[in-house]
Amino acid sequence: MDEVELRCHLERTHADCFGWAMACCSRDRDHAEEVLQTVYLTVLDGRARYDGRSTFRTWLFGVIRLTAASERRKAWLRGLLLERKARDVRPEPIASPDAEVERDSRGNVLRRALADLAARQREVLQLVFYHDLTVEEAANVMGVSVGSARTHYARGKARLATLLGNGKEL
Amino acid sequence: MTMMDENELRRRFAELRDTDRESAPTFAQTYGRARTDRTTRAQESPDKHAWSARRPRLRVRPLAIAAAAAVLIVAVWMARERSLSPREGNPEIATWRAPTDVLLDTPGSELLGTMPALGESVLDKMIPTYSLRGS
Repeated sequence: MDEVELRCHLERTHADCFGWAMACCSRDRDHAEEVLQTVYLTVLDGRARYDGRSTFRTWLFGVIRLTAASERRKAWLRGLLLERKARDVRPEPIASPDAEVERDSRGNVLRRALADLAARQREVLQLVFYHDLTVEEAANVMGVSVGSARTHYARGKARLATLLGNGKEL
Repeated sequence: MTMMDENELRRRFAELRDTDRESAPTFAQTYGRARTDRTTRAQESPDKHAWSARRPRLRVRPLAIAAAAAVLIVAVWMARERSLSPREGNPEIATWRAPTDVLLDTPGSELLGTMPALGESVLDKMIPTYSLRGS
């Protein structure tokens, strides 16, 4: 696949990739954008090669997931070694009025419920319900067996339904 | 507790997806920013890049592992040496003698410790008189 073709594929899947990057970065928009930038450079520089064993989107989701995990590890190490003091004195961000209003929206109820799930459960549900992947494709992205993905899917779905059900009653 | 059906979950995720898509940057913006960042980083530290290009890259990790292994070997060796060497002021039990052992040496104990023989006097053992006999 040459660079022009790669760019076309990336452009076509960009919106989906952004959503997945948001999920991999705990819905931190800036972090998600950084991860996506790194992924695009990695792919277009040829440091990550698509070998055609799965669909392009599934492969790209896998690259995004690994890049996000790697960035998270680096950020954790940086925080541990160098920026602990700076982070400790950094003030809490003040929520804007818009954010206050948004907080009560249904979307945020779902986000909060997702945040309460185990990481694997959150990932598989995001891939299946948000990105319309099959459980097999989700397993491929997550690098786990299909059986394991099915278990995470079933447990996650039940837990999410419970959490959202409780949220609804409140 | 209200259990939701799968369609309700799909609908909620679809809403979330629509919200994300509205706020998502375009591909051109994301890729453009990535290239700009890379260019800026390369311009900010050209010396570093030049230095790294000139200098053969040191393999830091194998060196660190080798150093750690060397320190470990020396530490184990020193600990082993220390455990093998006899400590001062702590004599071994086989060579130790009690200070009151001298009290067990009774007079005539050498007579009781030997076998008497015919034609010999015990006095010969106590008083060496062979030189006198010979003369």
